[in-house]
Amino acid sequence: MKNEKFKIVENIAAFFILNFAFLIPCAQAQEKPPAPSAPQEVKIPAIQNSELPNGLKIAVVERKIVPLVTVSLLLNAAAAKGEVKDGLANTTASLLTKGTKTRTATEIAEQIEFLGGNISARANWNSTVVNINVTSDKLEQAIAIMSDVVLNPAFAPKEIDLFKTQTNDELAVALKQPGSLAGFVASRYTFGEHNAIGTPESLKSIAQADIAKFYRETYLPNRAVLIFAGDVSSENADAIAKKYFGTWNNPKMPVAKIDAPQVPTTAMVKKMQSKPSKTVVGKILVVDLPKSGQAAVTYAKKLGLGRVNCFEEKCQSDETYYPSTVTNTILGGGYSARLNAEIRIKQGLSYGAGSNLASRNDQTNLLARVQTKNETAAKVVELVAAEIDRLGSSTAEEAELTPRKLTLTGAFGNSLETTDGLAARLVDLYTFGLSADELNTYMTRVRSVSAEEVKKFASANLNGGDIIIVGDARIFMDDLKKRFPTQKIEVISANELDLNREDLRKEKKVSGVTNPKLKR
Amino acid sequence: MRKISLVLLFVFAFAAFQTAFAQTKIAPLDIKQRTLKNGLRVVSVQNNSSPTVTVQVWFDVGSKNDPNGRNGFAHLFEHLMFKSTKNLKSEQFDRLTEDVGGNNNAFTSDDVTAYHEVVPSNYLETILWAEAERLSNLNVDEPNFLSERKVVQEEFRQGVLAQPYGRFQEAIQTLSYTTHPYKRTTIGTIEDLEAATVADAQKFHKTFYRPDNATLIVVGDFEQKQLDAWVDKYFNRIERPSGAIPRVTEVEPARTAEKRQTVKAPNVPLPAVAITYLAPDSKSRDIAALKIAQAILSGGESSRLYQELIYKQQIAQEASFGVDERVDKGLLTFTAVMASGKTPQMGEKSLLAELKKIQDAPVSAKELEKAKNSIVANALRGLETNRGKAFAIGNGVIYENDPNAVNTELKQLQAVTAADVQRVMKQYFADNNRVVIYYVNEENSK
Repeated sequence: MKNEKFKIVENIAAFFILNFAFLIPCAQAQEKPPAPSAPQEVKIPAIQNSELPNGLKIAVVERKIVPLVTVSLLLNAAAAKGEVKDGLANTTASLLTKGTKTRTATEIAEQIEFLGGNISARANWNSTVVNINVTSDKLEQAIAIMSDVVLNPAFAPKEIDLFKTQTNDELAVALKQPGSLAGFVASRYTFGEHNAIGTPESLKSIAQADIAKFYRETYLPNRAVLIFAGDVSSENADAIAKKYFGTWNNPKMPVAKIDAPQVPTTAMVKKMQSKPSKTVVGKILVVDLPKSGQAAVTYAKKLGLGRVNCFEEKCQSDETYYPSTVTNTILGGGYSARLNAEIRIKQGLSYGAGSNLASRNDQTNLLARVQTKNETAAKVVELVAAEIDRLGSSTAEEAELTPRKLTLTGAFGNSLETTDGLAARLVDLYTFGLSADELNTYMTRVRSVSAEEVKKFASANLNGGDIIIVGDARIFMDDLKKRFPTQKIEVISANELDLNREDLRKEKKVSGVTNPKLKR
Repeated sequence: MRKISLVLLFVFAFAAFQTAFAQTKIAPLDIKQRTLKNGLRVVSVQNNSSPTVTVQVWFDVGSKNDPNGRNGFAHLFEHLMFKSTKNLKSEQFDRLTEDVGGNNNAFTSDDVTAYHEVVPSNYLETILWAEAERLSNLNVDEPNFLSERKVVQEEFRQGVLAQPYGRFQEAIQTLSYTTHPYKRTTIGTIEDLEAATVADAQKFHKTFYRPDNATLIVVGDFEQKQLDAWVDKYFNRIERPSGAIPRVTEVEPARTAEKRQTVKAPNVPLPAVAITYLAPDSKSRDIAALKIAQAILSGGESSRLYQELIYKQQIAQEASFGVDERVDKGLLTFTAVMASGKTPQMGEKSLLAELKKIQDAPVSAKELEKAKNSIVANALRGLETNRGKAFAIGNGVIYENDPNAVNTELKQLQAVTAADVQRVMKQYFADNNRVVIYYVNEENSK
């Protein structure tokens, strides 16, 4: 067993002495807040890496403060992006815990819950993750169950049927919420993706053979990473991993090459990078959901920039990753970010406005979201567009940039306080083929982003996105047309929506002939 | 809640105990407590494992104390505590927390309003000063008040009107009580919020935001002596007002007959059913046995309700039993969101059958042990962070009037027997003391 220890780099959290330069006291103030004392370091825990003969990589972060352990198995090849039927990866993952060759679904639940533990398995766009969280005295018993569900899943037809029925019902609920419906629509309309959960129609098309094949081809030890975080030593974790995952074999037949993070060529980069758009708002789509209690306003933009750059087996964060992260934090990452400051704090138009970036190997999805009463939906569209525009057209002051970066690094430090949070950070890095060493450099790299880099990134990438509004259209359409008189506004009724199709509209039968199906 | 996320502060309130049978051990929190001469209770736990600290102030006031005709006021007021004071500008709390790598938030429930921050520990003194400042010098102006009131109205729309099951949750609360102010929801109503004024806010602050109605909780990276000195410096100077703090005196009468109601709402994709019963107050010894029953009926996919309604009968998409613990009588609530094509009647029948089962026969030794194991492990998860530890302490303060409850409550849970579970399930649940609510889509209902 290889055992290479990462160099421990202690990270100094330069929680800048702010001196309250930006806290201009009011004229009548009689007392100022006491100034902070000297900042202390946030220690980033060390990570031990090793590998089993079957190629399974192991990463261990030992922390003994609380007797809990999170174990995450990251399956890099089993991602929604590579599936042939929408929702196949997540269906496969979800069925792992629904029965093995020797345990029924009920027995799996009973046994893990008897240990006080929990187990989950889900797939998203980039990967599949199987997770357990358990007290450290029950670790081995819990891993035995985890190993069984990963190595010996039964994929019983009755469990497949039940999963589909349950998922359809969950989707039915999600599609009646304006915010989540807007997210589903953005995936198809703007990002050129499908939702990782799939749709009732796509789930219906998934057969047991599809699941078995997907499992066979993508659940491979040499494409997986087993992550331990919490109260477990590296030696113990390695021994447990060997005992419970050592017999997991790679297939004898060579399997189709899975697309490892691609190395973008110069030509590709040129093609991918979106041309700076003159207008902030590209297309406007309204999904009419009558009697919706609010309108969900979203700004969606597909950025042609991947999370990483890889050369041979070595990957590093794309040079735009940290500037994009800081830009998003200024725009919509946190309570004091611009969207919330303007729309909630200043105007009182929403309970919360924010944005986030979802990383892919080859693209990044920006989604800004606000819910507001239907009457103010069009006004909120303008406000969101104005904030997007401002990011690219003017340079942020240091008095804004520094606190936003501290918000980001502070949240990073806090996320490492729980074993689940620690494991999730590692899952994120390994998903993109990055080294765990990036935990040590994260804070420094965030701090090094300048206001000019933010402006450059924003002006080159953020404009020209789509506005998607889900709400009671009857209430806001006139106002929307008035505020965007020259823009084409497409309207689809929620009842007519078909998330399986690129044009989002249910097929219309024309004189007995069905239109060709459009997908992706 | 001031920021995004719903009122979700359950369970934290346990920890510390050990037993013979391979039970996971939880080290007790080393809790220090004292009371200042102005009545402020101060509770702290030193933990220097990371350079952060949480500061929280828990006030013994909640939506049950909303003034008449002002449903939702305690929660609206919580939002105003982030506005200006004599020495702080509006949102300056965010400058002192988020902007330096920390965070802040607050929540309001029926019984309590709590404010909490996490900051790098070199900002501890700053935050103690700021908490003392808004306890004693709040100074909300009209424009800020009006703007924040609109935000809370949007919070209502987002949580109640735009969620398929928002009005269901609202109905469970409003239909379950007849007399006690718990019959109002914490978020209130648009109309009552609209009626609220700055003068109401000033009066509410004066009435309830006083040191003898608050508990300051500090957990994390500090030296005890230094903490004590700062607390003395910034909180001792706040005077204890004269006069008594008004308390809720209404008593919810015992129910004597079943009550049924159907609630209709738009955009409800699947119907739902709720069956509620009144719980004993939070200091009752029976709460422990009810929580064990909750774990057995509703904890995880091996629980009875999941196995029966979702897995075997396949009539429900969600099924749960919850102990909604409150200072006065709380709620014991069965709910099911039906699977497509299934009716609330079917849900009611199956939920009541499960109730009868747990009343008629004692739970098995294995189920009992599983329930205890998961409660212990969940308690441990709750204690992973400084914030979680402080929440567990705060819950003890409000629901048990005991900051040390976090260190003793698990012992009570561990002592629960199968006979205890059977007894409480018989005692609090009867045919003539339930409220049954059907929740259906308004278009399909006749």
